[in-house]
Amino acid sequence: MIKILAIFLLLPSCIYSQSKSINFHSIQNKKLFADHLFCEGDYLRAVEEYEAIRKTIKNDTIDFKILLCYSELGLYQQAEQNVSLSSNSDLSSEFNKLFYINQFKKDQYSFYSFYELRDYQFTIKKFSTLNIFHKLTSMSYLYTDLNSRTKEEIVKPFDVKDRSTISSFYDWKLDPPYKSPALAGILSAIIPGSGKMYVGEWGDGITALLVTGLLAFLAYDNFRANHDTRAWIFTGLGAFFYGGNIYGSVVSAQIFNARINFEFKDGLNLFLEQKNYFMPEYDFCN
Amino acid sequence: MISVTKICFNIILLAGIACNLRAQISSEEQFNYAKNFFDKEKYFDAVTEFKRLLFFDETDQYNFAANKFIGLSYKQGGKFSDAVYHFTLAEKNTGTAHELFETRIEIIKVNIIRRSTGRAFILLDSLQSDETFINKIDEINYWRGWAFIFADDWESASTSFQSIAPDHELKVFADSINNNFYNETFAKVLSIFIPGAGQFYTGEYVSGLISLSWNVLWGYLTIKAFVDDRVFDGFMIGSLLWWRFYTGNLQNAEKFALEKNLEITNDALYYLKNSYTGPKP
Amino acid sequence: MIKNNLKILFLIIFISTSAFCQLEDLKWKKADLSYEIPNNFRQRDYSFEFNNAGDLVKKSIAYTYWFFISDVDGDNCPFRPSCSAFLMQSVEETNIAQGMLMFFDRFTRDMNIYKGHNHYPRVKTGHYFDPPDNYTLDQETIKYIPSTHIVKE
Repeated sequence: MIKILAIFLLLPSCIYSQSKSINFHSIQNKKLFADHLFCEGDYLRAVEEYEAIRKTIKNDTIDFKILLCYSELGLYQQAEQNVSLSSNSDLSSEFNKLFYINQFKKDQYSFYSFYELRDYQFTIKKFSTLNIFHKLTSMSYLYTDLNSRTKEEIVKPFDVKDRSTISSFYDWKLDPPYKSPALAGILSAIIPGSGKMYVGEWGDGITALLVTGLLAFLAYDNFRANHDTRAWIFTGLGAFFYGGNIYGSVVSAQIFNARINFEFKDGLNLFLEQKNYFMPEYDFCN
Repeated sequence: MISVTKICFNIILLAGIACNLRAQISSEEQFNYAKNFFDKEKYFDAVTEFKRLLFFDETDQYNFAANKFIGLSYKQGGKFSDAVYHFTLAEKNTGTAHELFETRIEIIKVNIIRRSTGRAFILLDSLQSDETFINKIDEINYWRGWAFIFADDWESASTSFQSIAPDHELKVFADSINNNFYNETFAKVLSIFIPGAGQFYTGEYVSGLISLSWNVLWGYLTIKAFVDDRVFDGFMIGSLLWWRFYTGNLQNAEKFALEKNLEITNDALYYLKNSYTGPKP
Repeated sequence: MIKNNLKILFLIIFISTSAFCQLEDLKWKKADLSYEIPNNFRQRDYSFEFNNAGDLVKKSIAYTYWFFISDVDGDNCPFRPSCSAFLMQSVEETNIAQGMLMFFDRFTRDMNIYKGHNHYPRVKTGHYFDPPDNYTLDQETIKYIPSTHIVKE
């Protein structure tokens, strides 16, 4: 009788504590909370929760989300460790996709070497993964050097609607609208400032022409009037401005070309960001 | 038979005890757990734990307090937009007028410290025009004073503190700072009449002397050239040299005054941050 | 066997701690919420460290110029580094002849009759950012910055 009474006394307290108390830090609740943080985009806190429970719960999705979190946080080294941990899982092709995207983000300039070394063939089996890999390889060539790839090779992996964009990137890479530093220098040697005008720096070009012209005139005028000292000062100054003008024209063509390169890479970056680096869309939050 | 009952009983008893003893904790305990991180200045972890509380607590009773502490944590981390966002969430969940006032002041304080004082003034005005807070006028004026300090308007700050008490500590402080400032226009006007005088006024004697010397030299040479009828030389020296050093002298007089004033302001702000003991933003 | 297990255990502990180290770096800490206003007034670098006699002569001339002329004749240079600092850095990075050519080119651009300086990025004080690195004739060292950017000096 006492025993039954004891049970009856204990039971309600159990129910009571169930309704009022929550195990905030249980494995299941950590997972729920991590999923919530993940969907809110708080990847740092989410990955901390996932890491805490992954040893207890073996789950492909959790491993994959950890990889996604590290990728979003730009912690590619951690992401890589996680790829090797789960190469046998069902999601392995998704892991591979992320692995290649991360490799590309880490160094888009040497990514194409995977392709050239033919390392990838042993790991990639699925078509969609291979397609992402080829797209990234094309982009890597555009970032660095075409290495005598044909336009067809570069454009082929892309969707039909993107092919014209990639094709124009290719044309640009093959023949960028550079200005010749040598030509700019020669032009400015013949007519001061004309090299700068050729590059598009009209204000600087006209200024260079006026300054050298004025100093040359002053030197000539003073020599004619037999003011030799003054004449030599103006000649010296004029010579420096003339030299600086040739030098500056060469440099301004170089800077122009640097701008062209910058804008091209900016275009590539923008394209990749719009495509989110060809990352598949994962629907974990709906 | 008996033994089976006994075993059953023991299992149920153990389950019952475990039910109570397991890591089940109440929301209050989780709140205190999070608050403990906050008190230890571990603000990142405090935010995590308060967020955990908000996620699991279905009673919504912590929507105000947890969001307030998340806001305070973000503020300590210098993440002001996140702070304002969570203070706003807290504001939506306030139960009392006091809590509402407290949260709004927190939002104002963030706006003061990140120097978006225009926003702070708008919020202070709306608090002042709200009849609920008619008895909080001193506190409103106190924070208005701080907003003026961060807007670098010490005179208005003094007025605000004065309306709390004529000899308010910060009123006296703001007045003393305001008296130390150099007058930029005065410095410039001095240098218009006597090159270098504005620099002397701000205590930059060497620079003042150099400026004065150059102006005397080029002024003398310019005038001499005109007197000697060398009009071209006069124009060249006057326009290329004298004028250059004369305008440079004016720029310097103003620059030194501004620079000295910035130093005075920063010394005052440093004092307020590190030595003033009253409420701070 | 036990030894091996221990090794693995240590490895696991090591990997997990190193993984968390990086995360710890990303976690923000209490910030230093200074009240002070950043001072953008130019502070001249009058440091008298020199490696050779040439350096001593060059710095002496530059410092004398700054002290007696540049600091008192107004803010006439729209660029950062200023024209005299540009000359000094150019000579340091290249040689005296190339440095002079770089300086005279800069001088011409300074005098631009249309005040056409809008393609340069700016620094916080509103001056145009124009470092000597872009003018050494080495295409690799040129760092193009769009004019819409504000450069931190």
